[in-house]
Amino acid sequence: MVSKKMLRRRTAMTVLAVAATVGILGAKLVDIQVVRADALQKQSVTAKEVSTPLLGNRGDIIDSDGTVLATTIYTYTAAASPKDAIAGGRAKMVEAAAKIGAITGQGGDAVVALLDAALKENPKSQYVLIKAGMDVGTFDKLDKLPYPWLTFTKKQARSYPNGAVAGNLLGYLSQGGDAGLEASENGCLAGENGEETYQRGADGVAIPGSTVVQKEAKDGGTLKLTIDSDLQWFAQQTLAQQVAATGSKFGFVTVAEAKTGKIKAIAQVPSLDPNNIDATDPSFWRLQPLTDPREPGSTFKALTAAMLIDQGKATPTSQVLAPYSWQSGNGADLHDSGFHAPLRLTLTGVLMMSSNTGMSQLGRALSDQTRYDYLKKFGIGDPTGLPYPDESAGELHPVKDWDDQTKYATMFGQGVSATQLQMVGAYQALANGGTRIPLSLVEGCEHPDGSVTDIPNSKPTPVVSAQAAATTLGMMESVVTDGELKKQLQIPGYRIAAKTGTAQQPDGKGGYLPSYYVSVMGVAPVDDPQYVVSVNLGFPTTITSSAAAAPLFHTIMSQVLKTYRVKPSTSSPADYPPYY
Amino acid sequence: MSGNLAEAAPVTGRRRPATLRPAALWRGGALPAPVEEPKRTHLEVVPTRSQRRARPRALYAGIAVATLLAVVVAQLLLSIGISQGAYQLQTLESKQTELQRSYQAVSEDLNRVASPQNLAANANALGMVSNSNPAYLRLSDGAVLGAPLPASGAAGTVTGTQGNLVPNALLAGVSLVTQPQQTANPSPAAGQAGNSTTSGGATGSGAAPTVPLQGALPTPVTH
Repeated sequence: MVSKKMLRRRTAMTVLAVAATVGILGAKLVDIQVVRADALQKQSVTAKEVSTPLLGNRGDIIDSDGTVLATTIYTYTAAASPKDAIAGGRAKMVEAAAKIGAITGQGGDAVVALLDAALKENPKSQYVLIKAGMDVGTFDKLDKLPYPWLTFTKKQARSYPNGAVAGNLLGYLSQGGDAGLEASENGCLAGENGEETYQRGADGVAIPGSTVVQKEAKDGGTLKLTIDSDLQWFAQQTLAQQVAATGSKFGFVTVAEAKTGKIKAIAQVPSLDPNNIDATDPSFWRLQPLTDPREPGSTFKALTAAMLIDQGKATPTSQVLAPYSWQSGNGADLHDSGFHAPLRLTLTGVLMMSSNTGMSQLGRALSDQTRYDYLKKFGIGDPTGLPYPDESAGELHPVKDWDDQTKYATMFGQGVSATQLQMVGAYQALANGGTRIPLSLVEGCEHPDGSVTDIPNSKPTPVVSAQAAATTLGMMESVVTDGELKKQLQIPGYRIAAKTGTAQQPDGKGGYLPSYYVSVMGVAPVDDPQYVVSVNLGFPTTITSSAAAAPLFHTIMSQVLKTYRVKPSTSSPADYPPYY
Repeated sequence: MSGNLAEAAPVTGRRRPATLRPAALWRGGALPAPVEEPKRTHLEVVPTRSQRRARPRALYAGIAVATLLAVVVAQLLLSIGISQGAYQLQTLESKQTELQRSYQAVSEDLNRVASPQNLAANANALGMVSNSNPAYLRLSDGAVLGAPLPASGAAGTVTGTQGNLVPNALLAGVSLVTQPQQTANPSPAAGQAGNSTTSGGATGSGAAPTVPLQGALPTPVTH
């Protein structure tokens, strides 16, 4: 029989034993789960954990129709472990190298040479680069070869499927520094890499449930341009033909929508193919119509004429006797580009004949400050604000720095410099009823979450009255209907306003270079302006006047009118008399 | 002592003979006070009716064990399923990677052959010309706007006589539809693409369509 006392003792012992066991286990538990938790976790995880980057793609650049101008592709790099390649004997290595070389296009001997060189340097070498930048097709074939010592890495690269179409605008990514929109819109385009970890079982398969996304990858946004890639190509193609035909050093063509300021094409020759930048002279890697200001020349006269009309200081029929050369009496000494007997011109005739002396005499009616203020409103002397790196603001000196020669020269586009795009912006104001809308290149940046940023500012600036703008275009029509280049500029059915320019360029030593920067800028149709086209050729040799640019202006303008189905004019030309 | 404990009673004829029940079968929180039993008077605890009913039965035990087994088996099957899924996932993922790669390859090809340089060169090679005198028909009153003239074969080629002048490094090696040996991107020195437009167009329309793109295109050089 068990006594009461005994039973109690036994119970106590049991309870004690259980408590002790629980205590020990509990202590161990706390030790493992709390005290050494991190260390143990790390130890267990690092043994089998693998971390892989999640690639965030750089966004595409597309044109206004969605055509891809720049995109991200993956290229593959093949590397070999020479130590393991030679392990099976030299004959086998040579045979393998022949197969690899045949696929990569290097040839088997070159691959053997790479392996040998690495082995010579270090017989235990485990890495030698075989080929970088391979496309998917090549990689797929190599990947099927049964050589475990051949390994691959994937890398993001940029591809420009349309080559040099808008190449200067797009820019490029390079280790020496990015350029163009690729640089200035990096905030929109750049993706962000993420990271994922998982634990790997003995056979290399992820252990179920062990995948942890440490950081989500973020794709970059899609940058949509206002550019029309087909028109852009046409402009570049025809510009290249004209540059070659006239022996020019370079040429620019820009097409902008008159009512919105959207740039539809911005061509430069020589063009940059971002796929192969080394094929182009580095000074033409940038988009010179935005970065390189030049004295615009006579295309500036349209701005001076618009100011005169707006201020009521002149009418299209204001009369002036324009001699070949003219002295202001305060030091300025001006002359026209070709000798002529004194001409009895109206303001319209001054634009048509592009008379510097005539413009100077009429332009005197405005004070320097008034003209300066107008030029500022036209956008001269200020950057256009387009999102392109290193845009130039041109040079418009303050009035106090103007000497007498500059005072008159600024009326016809000398003593002042502007980029082609600043001039297009000024003409856009004339084409848009006297109100300037900032030029734009980018429609916006669409992020993967659907939000759109980088929408350009389109705050209009009133420059001249709608009446003054329309009158100025009417006067510029005379260049096309009656001017020297009328045969080359006319497009049947459309009223076109244009102004030519043949500008000497400073040689940087106070004088002028012997060759010219020639241009034709115009607006069509005059009765309902839709497009502004500017054609500039740098230093043509076969024809040295704006006659070099006129045929190209005609080609581009016809293409623009055709492409955008612009309705022919229904009214007749303004027909202001050029002479009195 | 509560009702849980039947009072110790002598065995009577009315009750069914019962054997002595061990103390272990006592149901209740407290141990029963040890009872000094005289050997002769054989006393035992008599379960009440409700206690007899509450006694566990083999059926219940069976259900419990079976449930437990079922849970274990289900868990085993599930984990087998999950790890099977992991292998399937891996296979599908590698297939997806492969498909993504071929998607990339074909879209790269498509983008480069869709470039205006290639299209214009092919249009030229097929003898197509563009009309430089567009005319419009106004539907409202049937009026013809502009001056309709037939396109001229000499002046209307898209790229002119100099061939493509807008470089595209990606087009190296891409052949024209009519002349598989001629590319859309001739070297700057050789501008022969435009010269053979008429002959190319004539042969091109008669000959069976050729497939110029076979296999992978050359590696693009990108920056």
